[in-house]
Amino acid sequence: MADERGPVVDDEPPMRMREQIVLQVGGRLLTPFILLFALYVQFHGDFGPGGGFQAGVLFAAALVLFGLLFGVDRVQQVIPVSVSEVMIAVGVLLYAGVGVTTLLLGSAFLDYDALSAEHGQHWGILLVEAGVGIAVAATMTRLYYAFGSLHPDSEPAAGEHGE
Amino acid sequence: MSAVGTLLAELFAEPGSGWIAAGLLLPVGAALLVALLGWVARSANLRDGATVVVGVASAATVLRLWGPVSSGERPRWLLWSFAPGGHLEFVVEPLGLVFATVASVLWVVTSVYAFGYMRGHHEEHQTRFFCCFAIAIGAAIGVAFAGNLLTLFLFYELLTFSTFPLVTHHQTTAARRAGRVYFGILLSTSVGLFLLAIVWTWWLTGTTDFRPGGILAGTSPGVLVALLLLYGYGIGKAALMPAHLWLPAAMVAPTPVSALLHAVAVVKAGVFSVLKVVTMIFGVDTLRGAMDRVAWGDVLIWIGCFTVLSASIVALRQDNLKRRLAYSTIGQLAYIVLGAAVASQIAAQGAALHIVTHAVGKITLFFCAGAIYVGAHKTEISTMRGIGWRMPFTMGAFFVGSLSIIGLPPLAGAWSKWGLILGASQAGEWLVVATLAASSLLSVGYLLPVVLQAFAPRQGGAAGGEDAGVQEAPLLCVVPLCLTALLCVVLFFWPTPFTDLLSGFAGGPP
Amino acid sequence: MAAESVGQGLQQVALSTAFDVHFPALEVVLPLVAAPLCFLFRSRAFARILSAAVAWLTFGVALVLLQKVLAEGTVRYPLGGWAAPYGIEYRVTVAGAWVILVVSLVAALTLLFDSRGSASRLAPERRYLYYSAFLLCLAGLLGMAITGDLFNIFVFLEISSLSSYALIALGRDRRALMASYSYLIMGTIGGGFFMIGVGLLYQMTGTLNVEDMAQRLPAVLDTRTVLVGFAFLLVGLSIKLAVFPLHQWLPNAYTFAPPRVSAFLAGTATKVSYYVMAEVVFVLFGAHFVFTEIGLGAVLMPLSVAAMFVGSLAAIYQADLRRLLAYSSIGQLGYMTLGLSLANVEGLTSGLVHVFNHGVTKSGLFLVVACVGYRTGRTTVRSMAGLGTRMPATSLAFVIGGMSLIGVPGTAGFVSKWELIRGALAAERLWLAAVVLVSSLLAVVYVWRVVEMIYFGRPEGLESLGRDGEPVREAPFSMLLPTLILVAATVVFGLWSDPTLSVARSAAVELLGGAGG
Repeated sequence: MADERGPVVDDEPPMRMREQIVLQVGGRLLTPFILLFALYVQFHGDFGPGGGFQAGVLFAAALVLFGLLFGVDRVQQVIPVSVSEVMIAVGVLLYAGVGVTTLLLGSAFLDYDALSAEHGQHWGILLVEAGVGIAVAATMTRLYYAFGSLHPDSEPAAGEHGE
Repeated sequence: MSAVGTLLAELFAEPGSGWIAAGLLLPVGAALLVALLGWVARSANLRDGATVVVGVASAATVLRLWGPVSSGERPRWLLWSFAPGGHLEFVVEPLGLVFATVASVLWVVTSVYAFGYMRGHHEEHQTRFFCCFAIAIGAAIGVAFAGNLLTLFLFYELLTFSTFPLVTHHQTTAARRAGRVYFGILLSTSVGLFLLAIVWTWWLTGTTDFRPGGILAGTSPGVLVALLLLYGYGIGKAALMPAHLWLPAAMVAPTPVSALLHAVAVVKAGVFSVLKVVTMIFGVDTLRGAMDRVAWGDVLIWIGCFTVLSASIVALRQDNLKRRLAYSTIGQLAYIVLGAAVASQIAAQGAALHIVTHAVGKITLFFCAGAIYVGAHKTEISTMRGIGWRMPFTMGAFFVGSLSIIGLPPLAGAWSKWGLILGASQAGEWLVVATLAASSLLSVGYLLPVVLQAFAPRQGGAAGGEDAGVQEAPLLCVVPLCLTALLCVVLFFWPTPFTDLLSGFAGGPP
Repeated sequence: MAAESVGQGLQQVALSTAFDVHFPALEVVLPLVAAPLCFLFRSRAFARILSAAVAWLTFGVALVLLQKVLAEGTVRYPLGGWAAPYGIEYRVTVAGAWVILVVSLVAALTLLFDSRGSASRLAPERRYLYYSAFLLCLAGLLGMAITGDLFNIFVFLEISSLSSYALIALGRDRRALMASYSYLIMGTIGGGFFMIGVGLLYQMTGTLNVEDMAQRLPAVLDTRTVLVGFAFLLVGLSIKLAVFPLHQWLPNAYTFAPPRVSAFLAGTATKVSYYVMAEVVFVLFGAHFVFTEIGLGAVLMPLSVAAMFVGSLAAIYQADLRRLLAYSSIGQLGYMTLGLSLANVEGLTSGLVHVFNHGVTKSGLFLVVACVGYRTGRTTVRSMAGLGTRMPATSLAFVIGGMSLIGVPGTAGFVSKWELIRGALAAERLWLAAVVLVSSLLAVVYVWRVVEMIYFGRPEGLESLGRDGEPVREAPFSMLLPTLILVAATVVFGLWSDPTLSVARSAAVELLGGAGG
C-alpha cells in the first residue's frame, strides 16, 4: 500500500490554474458579468438593497477571480498597485468630501439637502456610495495583491510600480 | 511694576500671609539661586554666600511671625484647592512656629558648618547638596505651617524626596543600600499608613483641618486608638520601633546632613507631626477619654517606652559615634511621642519644648562628631582616647551637649524633661515616669564615656604617635558647634519666649 | 454654480459665530480627511506637518467642546440631519468630551515629538503611511468617544484597532510583527464580541442609539438574550481595556511598537475603551441592573485588585523599560476599573480623572524612554545606568513621572488615588483603601529600581557609548519639549487639581445619573 501511494503523489504535477481550461473559460465568461452586477448593486443601492460596500466587494471579487486564473500580473496591468492605493484614498476622500462640502454649505455633516434642495438626497447618496464602493474595491484588490504577489514582503519595493 | 507692587501690597496687607509665603518660598528661592550660581556661574563662594544670605532672610521672616502669633493671631494663607476635603493652606500656630524657628535658625548655623565640612573634605556635587538642603528646609517649614493634614502630608513627602539625594550623597553601594532602607521605610509607612489614617480621618469628620481642641470629638474610642496607632507608625519619621531602622541607615550621609536633617528637620518633622496630630486632630482631652475607656488604649505609650529603653540600650553598645548618636536620637524622639501619647497638656508642652532643646543639643553632638572626623579622621569611639586635649573646643561642646541631652541643669534639656515628667505624673502614667528616669541614666551611660574617653590621660609615649595629626577642625566647623553649645546654656536661663508661646497651645478652642 | 455656493458657504462660515455647532463632526472628520491626504501626497514632510496640525486642531476643538458641554449640557449633532434615533447621532457628554480632550492632547504632543527617523521599519520614502495610520487611529478613538450610536462605536473601534495593529507592526524589532499579530487576534475577538453584543441588543430593542436603547431595555432586561448581549459587550470591551486576565496582548504590543506609537496608545487606547465601558454599564444598562441585580462588582472588583498586584509585581521583574511601563499600565488600569466597580461618584470620578492623569503620565514616560532609546540605542533598564549626569533633564522627567505612577502627593497620580480611596470609603470598604495603598508601594519598587539605575548605576564597557558609538548626550530639544510638557503636566495638575477633578466629577455624576441609575 505504501508503495503505491508515494509515486502517485510524486507524479501528479502541481495544480496550475493556467492549465485548467474549464475554469479559465468559465472565469473569462463570468468576469464581465460580475463587474456589471457590481455596478448594478452600486447604483441600485440608491433605491433598494445594495450599495457601495457590497458593490465594492463584488467588483474586487471579479478582479480576484481573474487574478487567480490568469495571474496577478495580468490584473495589475489593468489596475496597477499604485492606482489601487490611490483609489483607496480617493474613495475615502470622496465620502468625507461630500460631508465636508455640506458642512461648508452651512448644514450638518452629510446633510445632502444642502447640495441641492431638489436632488440633494439623490446626488449625495450617489457620491457617498461611489466613495464607499471605490474605497472597498480598491482595498480588497490591494489586499489581494499583498497576499497574491510573489514578493514575500507585502510592501513592493519603491519605484517598482511607478511611484 | 505697579501691578507687582499692588500684588505684594495685597499679599502683605493680609495679616501674615505674605510672611508665610516668604518663609516658604525663600528656601525654594535659595535652591534656585544655589543651582544657578553653582551650575551656571560655577562660583562656590557666591553660591555659599547666597545660601547664608537667604537663610538669614528666611529665619528673619519666620521670627517676624512671632509678634502676631504670640498676640493671639493665627496668620493663614490659602493657596488653592488641592483636592476635595483639603486645600493647600497654611496656618501659623505656636507649635508650628516653634518648629519653623528651630528649622530655619539652625539652617543658617548648619550651612556655615557645612561649608567648613564639605570643603574640608573636598566633597563632590556640593551644588546639588546645598540645593537639596534648601529644598528640604523649605519642606520642613511647609510641614510646620501646614494648615491641614493634606498640606502636611504633601510637604512631609517632599521632605523625604528632597533628602534622599542628601542621604545617598556619596553614590556608593553603601549609600545606595542605605538609601533603599531610608526611602523604603519612610515611603511605605507614609503611603501605607499615614495616608490611610488621613483619609480615614477625613472620612470620619469631613475635614482635615487642624483645629485647636481637635476635630475627632465624638468618635468611638476604639477607632480613635486604632487611628492613633496608624498615625504613630504612619509618621515613620518619628522613628518608633521597628520603623526606626531608616535612621541608623541614613547615617551614611555627610555629617552636616545627619546634623540638620537627622537631628532637626526630618526627625523633628516626624515628632512634630505626631504632636500636632494629637493636639489638633485628636484633641488632648478626647484622646485621654478614649485611652481610658479602651483596654489597650495605652498601646502607643507601651511602644514609646519600649522604644526609649531599647534604643538607649542599643546605643550603649555602639562604637561608631554617629550610630550611637542615631540611637540616642531614636530614644529622644520617643520622649516626644510619649509626651504626645500621654495626652495631657503639660506633657504636650514639655514635648514641644523638647523639640527645641533636643534639636539644639543633638545638633551640637553631631557637629562635634563631624568635627572629630574632619580634625582627627576618627569615627569609632574606642579610638578617640585623649583627643579632647587636642580638640578642647569640640569636646567641650560635646560635653555641654551631652549634659543637655541627659537633662541636667543648667542646660536646656532640663526644662523639657521636667515638663514631660510632670505631665506624665499628673496623668498618672507612672510607666512613662519610670521610663524617663531610667532613660536618663542610660543616656549618662552612653554619652559621658565618650567625653571621659576623649579627656582620658594619654598613655605614655603615644603622644607623638598616632595622635600627631589630630587638631581642631576648621574655624567654620568649630564656631557653629560652640554657638549651639552656647544656645543650650542660654535656653536654660531664658526659655521664656518658647514657654510663653507654647503655653496652653494644646488646650481646647480659645 | 456649485463653486459659487461653496464660496458663499465659506463666507458664511467665516461670518457666522455658530459654526461651532459642527464641532462634534469636525473633531472626527478632521483626522479622517487628513489620513487619506497624507496617503495621497506621499510626502513624509507634508504628512508630518499635516498630522501635527490636525492633532492640535482636534485638541482645540476638544477644548471648545468641553467648555460647551460644561456650560450647556450634552451637545447633540445629528449626522446628515437625520434626527436620533433614526439617524446616527453624535452625542458629546462631559465624560466623552473629557476623553477626547485627553486623546487629542496626547496625540498632539506625541506628534510634536520628533522621532528622528529610523524608529519604524518603513523605508523613509514610505513613512507617510505611518502618519496616515496614526491619524486613522486618532479618528477612530475620537469617534468612539463622540458617537452616540452603538454600531458606530463598533465601527470606530475597528478603525482605531486596525490602524493600531498596523502601527504596532511597524516597530523596528521583528518581534513587533508577532506582537501585532497577537493583538490582532485578541482585538478581533474583542471587537467581534462587542459586535455580537450589539447585535443581540439590537434584536431585542430595535434601536442602536444608546439613549434610545437605554429607554427600551428595562422592558426586556430579564430576558436571557439581553443578559448574554451584555456579557458579550462587557467581555469584548474588557479585552480592549486589558482587564486583568485578558491583558496578555498589551505588554508585547507596547514594548515592540515604534516609540511614539507606544506613547500614544498607552495614553489613549485603553482610556477610550474605559469610557465606552462606563457608558455601557451606567448609561445603557444602569448601575442598578449591573451592580445590584447581576452583581458585576463581585467579579470586577477582585479582578481589578488582582490587576493592580499582578501588573505591578510583573513590572518589578522586567528588564526592558517599555515592558516595565506596559505592566505598570495593567496595574494602573486596575485602579481605573476598581473605581468603576465601586459604582459611586467618587470611584467613577477617580477612574475618569485617572484617564487624564495616567494618560499624561504614561505617555510622558514612554516619550522619556524614546529619548533614552534614541541616545543610547537601547531601552533596557540597564541602559539608564548613569544617565543622571549625562541626560539630566530626561532623567528628572523619569523620576517625576515615576512619582506620579507611585502616587506621591503633588503629582497627578496622587489626585486619582486620593479620589479612589474616597470612593472605597464611600462604599464602606476600608480594607479596599488599604489594599490600594499597599499596591502603590509595589509601584515604588519598580520605579525606584530604575531611579537607582539612573543615579547609582555605572555603565560598563560598551554601555557608556550610545547609539552608533557616540557618547550619550541629552536628547535633542525637539524630543525633550513634548516630553517635558507631559511630565510638567503631571506636576501642575497634581497641585492644581481643581479643574481636572471638577470635570471628572461632573462627568461621573452625569454617567451615574443615566438610565436606571
